[in-house]
Amino acid sequence: MNTASLARTNGQNAASTNPLLELKDIDTAYGPIQVHFGVNLHVNAGEIVCLLGGNASGKSTTMKIILGLVRPRAGAVRFDGRVINGLTTPQIVRLGIGSVPESRRIFAQMTVRENLLMGAYHRRDRHAVAEDYERMLALFPRLKERLQQRGGTLSGGEQQMLAIGRALMGRPRLICMDEPTMGLSPLYVDRVLALIQQINTQGYTIFMVEQNANLALQIAHRGYVLQNGRIVMEGQADALLNDPEIQDAYLGEGVS
Amino acid sequence: MDSLLRTFADQTINGLVIGNIYAFIAVGLALIFGVGNLINFAHGSIFMVGAYVGWVCVTWWGLPLFTAFLVTTLVCALLGVIIERFALYPLRSAPPIAPLLATIGVSFMIDQAVQIIFTPNPQAFPNPLLAYRFQVGGVTVGAIDLLIAGIGVATAAALYLFLRFTQWGWALRATAQDREAAQQMGVDVVAVNRMTFAIASALGGIAGLLVGMYFNTVYPTMSFQATLKGFAAVVLGGLGNVPGAVLGGLLLGLIESYGVAIFGATYRNLFAFVILIAVLVWRPNGIFTNQRRTAPEPLTGTFIARSRPVHIPAWAIAALTVAALALPFFAPNPYLLQILTNAWLLGMVALSVTLVTGTAGQTSLGQAGFMAIGAYASALLTQRLGWPFELSLLASALVSAVIGVLLVLPAFRLRAVYIAIATLAIGEIVNQVILNWDSLTNGAMGITNIAPPSLFGWQAIRPHEIYWFTLVLLILAALVQHRLVRSPLGRTWRALREDEVAAQAFGIDLNRYKTLVFAVAAFIAGLSGAVTGHMYSYISHETFTNTTSILVLTMVILGGMGNLLGAIVGAVALTALPELFRGLADYRYLIYGLTLLLLIRFRPQGLLGTD
Repeated sequence: MNTASLARTNGQNAASTNPLLELKDIDTAYGPIQVHFGVNLHVNAGEIVCLLGGNASGKSTTMKIILGLVRPRAGAVRFDGRVINGLTTPQIVRLGIGSVPESRRIFAQMTVRENLLMGAYHRRDRHAVAEDYERMLALFPRLKERLQQRGGTLSGGEQQMLAIGRALMGRPRLICMDEPTMGLSPLYVDRVLALIQQINTQGYTIFMVEQNANLALQIAHRGYVLQNGRIVMEGQADALLNDPEIQDAYLGEGVS
Repeated sequence: MDSLLRTFADQTINGLVIGNIYAFIAVGLALIFGVGNLINFAHGSIFMVGAYVGWVCVTWWGLPLFTAFLVTTLVCALLGVIIERFALYPLRSAPPIAPLLATIGVSFMIDQAVQIIFTPNPQAFPNPLLAYRFQVGGVTVGAIDLLIAGIGVATAAALYLFLRFTQWGWALRATAQDREAAQQMGVDVVAVNRMTFAIASALGGIAGLLVGMYFNTVYPTMSFQATLKGFAAVVLGGLGNVPGAVLGGLLLGLIESYGVAIFGATYRNLFAFVILIAVLVWRPNGIFTNQRRTAPEPLTGTFIARSRPVHIPAWAIAALTVAALALPFFAPNPYLLQILTNAWLLGMVALSVTLVTGTAGQTSLGQAGFMAIGAYASALLTQRLGWPFELSLLASALVSAVIGVLLVLPAFRLRAVYIAIATLAIGEIVNQVILNWDSLTNGAMGITNIAPPSLFGWQAIRPHEIYWFTLVLLILAALVQHRLVRSPLGRTWRALREDEVAAQAFGIDLNRYKTLVFAVAAFIAGLSGAVTGHMYSYISHETFTNTTSILVLTMVILGGMGNLLGAIVGAVALTALPELFRGLADYRYLIYGLTLLLLIRFRPQGLLGTD
């Protein structure tokens, strides 16, 4: 592969000797079916990193490994230097990893307010939670209008906003997003991408899995390409965006 | 007119009081289904334990009522936690049918344990409150009515406040709505699950205590009836819907109360099950929602564990068959032959269950109902119409097939756990109809003096004769079923089991093949039931109960689901073993329950493997 030509590191990457999140030689299998073959990747504090790949490439499983929903067969997941594979999902969440799950997974029968506060479920600093709640209302005026409405009655785009707000309520140091633009109208796709950039500039580190490589690379700093359970390319977002091989294989034609 | 109105008012109060208790049971079931996606068959047993704990507190220890309630609540909550921890938690990554079966095993064990400790006899529960009755506007209200209503309202309010305003309540609701998302919010779903069991079991226990006080009696078999009533209330309100469960319970209580007033007390249990079926068929999400589509069903397919069947060479099977046929020559012990005869008869039913459940993936918990139909049909044909046994045997099996299909037909749309509940209710309905259709079935008296089996003048009366007769029938049934399962028809049935939607997409007419599989299964089960009736010479609505259905399902799991030889091996093992170890006979349901529990945990594919 032409990993070498793309692995031109920028200052940010070189400066941080200790990445916030690191996956080292991860092997995963569901029964006899192996999903990951020695996956290595890392996310530095302050970055937006995207993981690209087609269907069944192992992207979503990567997300589940980080969150402790699936256990790797070999390898290590480190968060802030600490090995976290082996911890339960609630323990990992408490360490500071928030998530925006695939297809949003809003609590449909709970109100918008309850959904937001569920994001702070593991926090005990009540005053700070109340402050964060006010910040969310300011950040998402649409949600503020619908606080007593049930989560399931929101539109797809509103639900995505709610899912992001819910994740932010946990004050995570890293937010994992699984296909945040999937199934949204073009209008909301733009809004969600702008929002991700916005919260990133506020200091949140973001690791996102995306099928739509073109969109993801427009806002990400770096990207990885996963294919059949192996990282086949990695590099700066703009370099990946302009790489002809990526263009052919993952961006396709006519993707907006 | 005035007295009619008063009766109506009295029945309404009656119905609301009973409904209140049903609501208690139903809320527990709904909570557990909501959080853990589990139909808890042990719930009635916890209810029964609650009744006994309260009874012990009041009659043995003379504790005041309030203390009795407190002790019952705590003991039942603890029991729930123990069940969750030791029977269900180890199965957390098994297919959802596994924990369901585990709760059946647990309920067998608890019920038998209570029987051993307190004897199967009903115990009088003197109720200090019963003396106080007063008239309100011409309607009689007892203190116990008020107590039940008061506890009901207080508990509902407490539950509401808990779910709405507490950290744990939020965690419970979030887990119920989306387990994985709740985990990603930092909710410890294992702890939530255990807490849910504690709450649900405490509610069940309180219900048991109230029922004991209300009817002044406690008895071990109150458990299974409570489970079934709870299911009916839950289904009425919508599976997993907690406020729906409360309303469903109250509604069921009212319907029963009015129904009993109109038709008579023996009909009491019929209403619940007819409603259960009707709601499952027309409103599978309960009567409080218009949505007809059931939630995406996680329980499709019935295999606890997929495996390859253990290969047993044809010569070994042939040798075993010959040995079984020759047994009466070498061991003419009538007792042994009688036990094995029972095993052959239940083996046939096990074959029918392994066909429906194992091969075609339609979990059946009502197979005993088909046995009952066959037994009554043959008894009536020979007794009333004077048909010869040979003819009536075949005819009754056909009757069982036809009625069986007609009964299950409305439930064809249902899958997995819903079909399991529906078939359970069908089995119960058959017995209730037998009980109430006096002119045909002789009602609760049963049918006596049924002629022994005979073939062309040769009467099978002596043990070895019946032994051969039933063994030959079993072998024939097994051979026919083997052919069917290996034919293209069998392949289609397996396709149903694997994926109904895909099967449909390949142009398979689901209803047609479900009809066929239930017809064959009901035919075989009816045949077995008919022979059983002629062998015992007496049958009643209590001969073929849901316990038999569940026992047969256990046999099938023991042998390996879908495995023909496994079904027979399972039948022999579970019929013969408790008998052979005579001292264990009293503990048989404890053994059945433990067998089921251990199997699901350690060898879910059964002895001979699933097929």
